Amino acid sequence: MSEASQFHQIGRALPRKEDYRLLTGQGRYLDDIVVPGALHASFVRSPYAHARIRLIKTDAARRMKGVVAVVTAAELTQWTTTLRMAPPIEGLQPTEMTALPVDKVRFQGDPVVCIVATDRYLAEDAAEAVEIEYEVLPAVLSYDDAVCAGAALVDDTLTSNLISHQTFEKGVVKQRMQDAFAVVETSFTQHRQTHLPIETRGCLAVWDGGREHLTFHIGNQVPHPLRTQLAARLRLSESQVTVISPDVGGGFGQKIVLYREELTVAALARQLRRPVRWREDRMENLQSSSHAREQTCRVHAGVDRDGRIAALELEIIEDFGAYCFYPANYLARVVAMILTGPYRIDHYAFDVKVALTNKCGAGPMRAPMSITSWVMDGTIDAIARKLGRDPVEVRRINMLRSQDMPYTMATGEVVEDITPLETMDAALAAIDYAGFRKRQEAERRRGRYMGVGLCVVVESTAYGSRFYKNAGIPGSGHEAVWLRIEPSGVVNASVGLMATGQGYETALAQAVAESLGVEASSVRILLGNTDVAPYGMGSRGARGATAGGGALYLVGEKARERVLVIAAALLKLNSARELRMVSGRIQRMVEGQWAETGLMLAHVARTAYLDPSALPEGVAPGLDFSMTYDPPPLTFSNSTHVCLVEVEVATGRIMIERYVAAEDCGTVLNPIIVRGQQQGAIAMGLSGSLLEHVVYDSETGQNVTSTLADYLVATACEVPNFEIISMNTPNRHTPAGIKGMAEGGVMGAIGALTNAVNDALAPFNVCVERQPLTPQAIRELLRGAK
Amino acid sequence: MNKRTITLTVNGQSYEATVEPRRLLSDVLRDDLGLTGTHVGCEHGVCGACTVLIDGMPARSCLTFAIQAEGHDLTTVEAVAANGHYSALQRAMHEEHALQCGFCTPGIIMTFEAYLKENADPSEAEIRQVLSGNLCRCTGYQNIVAAVRKAAAAMRNGRT
Repeated sequence: MSEASQFHQIGRALPRKEDYRLLTGQGRYLDDIVVPGALHASFVRSPYAHARIRLIKTDAARRMKGVVAVVTAAELTQWTTTLRMAPPIEGLQPTEMTALPVDKVRFQGDPVVCIVATDRYLAEDAAEAVEIEYEVLPAVLSYDDAVCAGAALVDDTLTSNLISHQTFEKGVVKQRMQDAFAVVETSFTQHRQTHLPIETRGCLAVWDGGREHLTFHIGNQVPHPLRTQLAARLRLSESQVTVISPDVGGGFGQKIVLYREELTVAALARQLRRPVRWREDRMENLQSSSHAREQTCRVHAGVDRDGRIAALELEIIEDFGAYCFYPANYLARVVAMILTGPYRIDHYAFDVKVALTNKCGAGPMRAPMSITSWVMDGTIDAIARKLGRDPVEVRRINMLRSQDMPYTMATGEVVEDITPLETMDAALAAIDYAGFRKRQEAERRRGRYMGVGLCVVVESTAYGSRFYKNAGIPGSGHEAVWLRIEPSGVVNASVGLMATGQGYETALAQAVAESLGVEASSVRILLGNTDVAPYGMGSRGARGATAGGGALYLVGEKARERVLVIAAALLKLNSARELRMVSGRIQRMVEGQWAETGLMLAHVARTAYLDPSALPEGVAPGLDFSMTYDPPPLTFSNSTHVCLVEVEVATGRIMIERYVAAEDCGTVLNPIIVRGQQQGAIAMGLSGSLLEHVVYDSETGQNVTSTLADYLVATACEVPNFEIISMNTPNRHTPAGIKGMAEGGVMGAIGALTNAVNDALAPFNVCVERQPLTPQAIRELLRGAK
Repeated sequence: MNKRTITLTVNGQSYEATVEPRRLLSDVLRDDLGLTGTHVGCEHGVCGACTVLIDGMPARSCLTFAIQAEGHDLTTVEAVAANGHYSALQRAMHEEHALQCGFCTPGIIMTFEAYLKENADPSEAEIRQVLSGNLCRCTGYQNIVAAVRKAAAAMRNGRT
């Protein structure tokens, strides 16, 4: 913390400003916004995984009480444009998506008809009265089915279901494999999961006919990019649309893109000239919002006799579901790009294939690259098993040291200021690795199977515009901010991010306060309203602190410089060089000591606004600043997770005895909030690995996990306490050394847990290659044990 | 469906609402009475976000019809902070960072406002058992457990 200790506001453990309203029932989430006379939308969805729409009969529904409109693709295609997904990426087939399906449905839960009625109950009543005739088509329900010769086409406009395929090679991989002492093969299958924000999706569209303006209230992570998309698809200009994101009950990546239901509601509000709102129910959320993570990775690692990796080959296959809300290579590509993470692996090749299937479309879910560290460290463990070596030593021999950095990965990404070895040593010391091995041996003799699993994580946090450009994806990684010191000296600041629980109003105020020289309590952060906030790229990945916090830190510096120039003039000094501001008080260096001048920020602000003639020459009235900041192509945090488990071999039950994570996420804006993010991320990783699973019936394609009694998520009884060791090596290229974090916990948990289970089961010569790690799956593995 | 006029007692105040018998208590509290502190997360009784107190006992307002609540005393999160001041539990949740997005929070507050009245010194395992009726997707629960323990201690020491 030597670097961090230079800060006054950054790094303070301030409790959150957001809490009071949220704890007292005064939060303002989407459904808390009252608009008199708002109509309610409800959707009729496909009961089939794949079917042609023959006939839609809506007469009975139209006649029902309270029904105002019943619309299908026939109307929507007139009112909206299609979404064309065709970035210039080699090997990616372009797709188009209409607001509602025109001729066929592609998954169970695909929306077909929208009902608008005077209340939600009546809208749902009418949905029951819609009759749709379908011609059922063969459904494609897995990657393997999708790429089979003669497979039914999920999207009739494509030449095959293989929507995306890219390959890469750096170095001489084949040669190295041939020359290797051994080639270790591993396989990792992650299952389909979903984000499950406790607040489901929803929106409220208000059309102002007199001004020809749409106000769209929606809990969304990226208000400005959403506005761009919404305006374009309604054929409106961006000045005709305001997106307002209120308090949001969780996002985790589910609330980024413009979904078809949301576009439909917006179009209806405009056509009906009445406010229309939609609240998704939980079944719809589980069936039809967005799914994630259904990937299999296969690895070949060529190693020398000590376990040093001479070459690595990765193959990824991903089941992307039925629709492309993102470029189909969007998720798997990052896994392939950063796989080697904390290790020196110069000869590397990958092959990434993504297929469409008749399931809900996939998207990024907190750590879209979640599988990465499990694949890498699971492979290291397999190398250790094959060579009869300690898995820690195999990590150590391959690991990047500080003197190796900056290190350019085979894929061209540069890692710097990361500390894999230091985090690993800290985590191992915390659990007393050697002591545990002794205890493990003793317990095995008594028939108890304990295991230790390590996962060393290098988490890509913030992506700069150069990363997007290199990836061929339209968009940018910069962020935009403004800052106003008001006449009374209080500070308002805004950024294009949107919070879904990250405590930005607190932590980002600290970033501003630090560089400006005021107390965090005097800075208000405004978010989520596109008429107020500057056009930024929003919240996704772990970019908030680096891109948003970094931009706010920089704009605070800019404002401070101006304040000090004015202060110098008011103090009748020739220059501002000997001035600084602390807690809004202007101080002057006098004989090597900082001394109060008696001048306050409020005096400076009052002069700037109300007495501009007193300002020095060339200084314009007011204290109003804005800027943008484009972070480096890729910023990384790193961590090591260690999980101790016991596996009850008779039942397959996994008990987590201890969980330790040592994380180096650079300069931390607010340690309370960072700790919360670490705990939440690890819990999400464990929950996904142990319990969560979106299951489709393999014959009919029905989603059979459409309630929370079927889609299981960890409760307080299924996750342990997490012991976190904080490390803070600043990034030398970002403002204040901020690195960002909040997804690495997911990555580490998935790997550490599974590696621990494999370690526990080593005496049975079995290896878990797929998640979730249910008791049934563990028992099945043990039954097949040799 | 025929509407009926019912009288509900919520947070000590009497409200009249004209509702269909099928209308959920959660919807009446939120949409008819304007008490939007109670959140609706799943509408099938699993997530616990909609938990309110019926005669002092935690109950899922999404699994209760409003007409069933006639003649009972209902308490919602809006009544927990007296004169705008945090209860011991709310203060502990603030200090321990026991909430992130805040959507599940009202349900957790109502569950433990009731529980801590009956259980002055719960163990961590007991707290986790009770908390398992409320899903939180953000926090990993650890800070919520810590907050409940802290609140219990504060209440034992006479601070409310």
